[in-house]
Amino acid sequence: MATIVAAPPYASTATESANTGLWSWLTTVDHKRIGVLYLITALVFFVIGGLEAFLIRAQLAVPNGQVLSADMYNQLFTMHGTTMVFLAIMPLSAAFFNFLIPLQIGARDVAFPRLNAFSYWVYLLGGIFITVPIFFSVAPDGGWFGYAPLSTKQFSPQINMDFWVLGLQILGISSLAAAFNFITTIINMRAPGMHLMRMPIFTWMSFVVQFLVALAFPVITVALVFLQFDRFFGTNFYAIGAGADPLLWQHLFWVFGHPEVYILILPAFGLVSEVLPTFSKKPLFGYPVMVYSGILIGFLGFGVWAHHMFSVGMGPIADAVFSLTTMLIAIPTGVKIFNWMATMWDGQLRFTVAMKFGIALVGMFTIGGISGVMHSSPPADLQQTDTYFIVAHFHYVLFGGSMFGLFAGLYYYFPKISGRFMSESLGNWHFWLSLIGMNLTFFPMHFSGLLGMPRRTYQYDAGQGIELFNMLSTVGTLVLMLGTLFGLINLWKSWKSGERASSNPWGAPTIEWAIPSPPPEHNFDELPKITSRYPLWDLKGTVIAKPTTVAEEAGFKQLTAKQLGIPMPNPSILPLITATGVIVMFSGMLFTDTNQKLAIAIMIGGAVWWIASLYSWLLTPLEDAH
Amino acid sequence: MAFMFRQRRWTSTALLVALALIAGACSGEYPNSTFNHTTDFNAANDAVWDKLLLFGTIVFVAVEVALIYVIVRFRKRANSPDPKPVHGNTMLEILWTAIPAVILIFIAIPTVRTIFATQAKAAPDALQIEVVGHQWWWEFRYPEYGITTANEIYLPKGRTVNFALTTVDVLHSFWVPQLGGKRDLITNKTNFLWFTPNTDIQTEAYNGFCAEYCGSSHANMKFRVYTVEPAEFERWAQHQARPAVFPVQAAVPMVPSGAGVALQDVAADSMVADSTAPATPMLEPYWFPREQLPAHVIPTTRLPKNLTFDESLLAAADAERGRELYSRSSCIGCHAIAGNPMSVSKVGPNLTHLATRHTIASGLYANDAKHLALWIKNAPAMKPGSLMPSIGIGETDPVRKNVISAAMGGLTDAQIADIVAYLQALQ
Repeated sequence: MATIVAAPPYASTATESANTGLWSWLTTVDHKRIGVLYLITALVFFVIGGLEAFLIRAQLAVPNGQVLSADMYNQLFTMHGTTMVFLAIMPLSAAFFNFLIPLQIGARDVAFPRLNAFSYWVYLLGGIFITVPIFFSVAPDGGWFGYAPLSTKQFSPQINMDFWVLGLQILGISSLAAAFNFITTIINMRAPGMHLMRMPIFTWMSFVVQFLVALAFPVITVALVFLQFDRFFGTNFYAIGAGADPLLWQHLFWVFGHPEVYILILPAFGLVSEVLPTFSKKPLFGYPVMVYSGILIGFLGFGVWAHHMFSVGMGPIADAVFSLTTMLIAIPTGVKIFNWMATMWDGQLRFTVAMKFGIALVGMFTIGGISGVMHSSPPADLQQTDTYFIVAHFHYVLFGGSMFGLFAGLYYYFPKISGRFMSESLGNWHFWLSLIGMNLTFFPMHFSGLLGMPRRTYQYDAGQGIELFNMLSTVGTLVLMLGTLFGLINLWKSWKSGERASSNPWGAPTIEWAIPSPPPEHNFDELPKITSRYPLWDLKGTVIAKPTTVAEEAGFKQLTAKQLGIPMPNPSILPLITATGVIVMFSGMLFTDTNQKLAIAIMIGGAVWWIASLYSWLLTPLEDAH
Repeated sequence: MAFMFRQRRWTSTALLVALALIAGACSGEYPNSTFNHTTDFNAANDAVWDKLLLFGTIVFVAVEVALIYVIVRFRKRANSPDPKPVHGNTMLEILWTAIPAVILIFIAIPTVRTIFATQAKAAPDALQIEVVGHQWWWEFRYPEYGITTANEIYLPKGRTVNFALTTVDVLHSFWVPQLGGKRDLITNKTNFLWFTPNTDIQTEAYNGFCAEYCGSSHANMKFRVYTVEPAEFERWAQHQARPAVFPVQAAVPMVPSGAGVALQDVAADSMVADSTAPATPMLEPYWFPREQLPAHVIPTTRLPKNLTFDESLLAAADAERGRELYSRSSCIGCHAIAGNPMSVSKVGPNLTHLATRHTIASGLYANDAKHLALWIKNAPAMKPGSLMPSIGIGETDPVRKNVISAAMGGLTDAQIADIVAYLQALQ
């Protein structure tokens, strides 16, 4: 019998503490509330990125579109990519890291609660920093990949790319701080009995992702610092006139950029690996292999970066090596697909919206994976690279994979986050429109690409055989937007008035479902003792956890941390103040060309600001003495 | 649930339609299709693609069919017992690790073979073409023939052509989808790409594109490739290698239009005279006949609003006046015309035989009097970011944000019409 100290049913009322109001959100260090902040902020950026995509598709609906100017189009595709990667999908994953990791490992909070808040505030302010310029038509316009020498001052003399160079560094601080926080949390704060190989699979995938972040972001930071020095201080890292090799940028960028792909997809894989077992009433098939394949994907992900560069003329040996390493990644990825299907095999599938999004990930990611193998082969890739075929490929991976996985996670965990269900009927609209919309948008792009349409082009001639495909893609975008609208309405309505959810409404197996929905501030009344991978399912016998109901949990009173004598981290405004100082410091850089004295003054001011704030933070104890 | 079935069926129907479209993509409806075997290079790459498509389709069908089967077969039924808690199956997992690995071997072997075959050194007798990328146009040089031209390439069928690719500014990528894959133009580096157009293909015109994002007018950095018979190529090359043949007006004494230009005129005239005395037997000049141009190489770019030109001026224009004007205006700051000693700059496209080209502005507009006139009047309005400034008096330059005046060297429509007449005479 798997044991866990959880289980009397709880009242689903939230804790009594007066944790409401704006100030409580500005000062919160509670991982769950920070998770909610990440969720909402990332969804706002997701909508902004989606509207950018809509404008792009509106321009491309017909040949020689007149909706946007060339320069506006270039800003929009740059910001669409930058927004979706750094401001939407990564932070949506971060929302789940924050909310779930401490709950899944049975911890009170993350290892460094205030650092966690700091990560969020840096992300929010950095996101605003890099997004606002689009409203003034001065947004970055060098592509999300910012290839040198186009991104150097010689070819991009305006302020546009300054926002990008500085903005990505700011966001990198957020990601790195969070990565070290979660690595420490997962290594040190697991509940008694939670061996690594008993960890929930989402936490495992998150663990891998944190290492990818910790190893990949320093590389792009180096690349960005070089570029920043070139732009502001006249160094020659990418200065072609001084004989620079522009491929330096590409190598650095993709050594980051490819692991970044797995940073975007592995959390979604983790979420789906939680959703499928619950709604199949079966444990995850091949848990150890799922863990190892995730690690292997992360590891191999560092050895394939140059497959983004098959057309740069690296020579046949490098092309062949990077081609083969890339193909290798298909093996652990394929194993995951098959194991998910084996998880569902012989199960009892319940088609909730979460389950539908989870299954859709399996189906849609497979398409992206297959087209990925297609351009792992340089002879094919030489025709496909920089065409819409690639756009089709990575949208199947990132929309059909990452976003569907994150939506599955959202529908699955929303009852835990808010204590309420999301609406299944609105959710079905959300799901079906998204599935149809994404296929209608992205499948035709395979054809427009193979039929000769290059990427990043704001107009194309009539009579090139690609009109129909482009029109279909644009119509698909509208369907996709409608689907997303249903999702957002669902979220809004459910948050306010959704049906109440019990502690374990799905009959799920992991320990986050043993505590009330939403969880009390301190998560667990006492440390759970873990004796199996699925503590709430007694897998030795045949008993699967029955879903709990609100009725049977009525009348039980959740005690607060104070009543239980659990010390909690104190709220603190200092993470926000420190983050603001960091942004001020970076913003000063923007004035380097126009007013050097002002620039230096702002930078020093910002530095003093955040250092002083950090000191004050470090001198303030995390908890009250006890 | 029923809805879900229909959805899945719809997906597989879509796949079939998709495959049909791929098959159809080899026909002429898709003028930039990557599936045509017009060169050895494209045939080799496409052979690998065929394997990828085959295995990809098999895996796709297998996975999606299995997924649909699972969804249908194992949906929750009332009163069924709880499923057995299976944790895994080592044999199965080894099996589905091994199957993809085996499939990948079938892909990897032709991949590596093709990489080494297509990236070997080009045959030494290959036709050399130097490709130089510029924001946002293409410079093509044939060192063997001493030709420098822009935005249009002629290739003899059956002869291997070896492109040496480089760029003077940002990165670009050289791509003619119908003839083969891409190769990037990297600053401070020379890349190579070679292929042999098949002898049995039509005399044909293909679209070329820049495939690496290179700034404002990346989308407008196009070019044309003409595959012609070897004899036609020789005629074209010999003609292009000569200075521009400036028509008879050159021999007519000019009306002096000002003392300050007299010297230039003398120099230009003497050069024209030189060019009429060729040393080698002349072949009949050749260029791709305008009336045979397929529709897909004729630009459809829309003209900017608010940019107009009085076309009646074009009829009244005088090429000789245009030459004189061209030779003392800002045009010569960037352009070269062999045969016009005042015009030797290599910043912009070489205009020597401009009238033999079918497009201007890097494949963006048809090369006719109207488009040329508008282009000279306000190039950056016609091509975003264009490094060629606006020249028409009263025009606003969208890049430099200034209004062109006569004092700045701006030209009237009548003057522009004369220059157009001159450029149109440059065959």
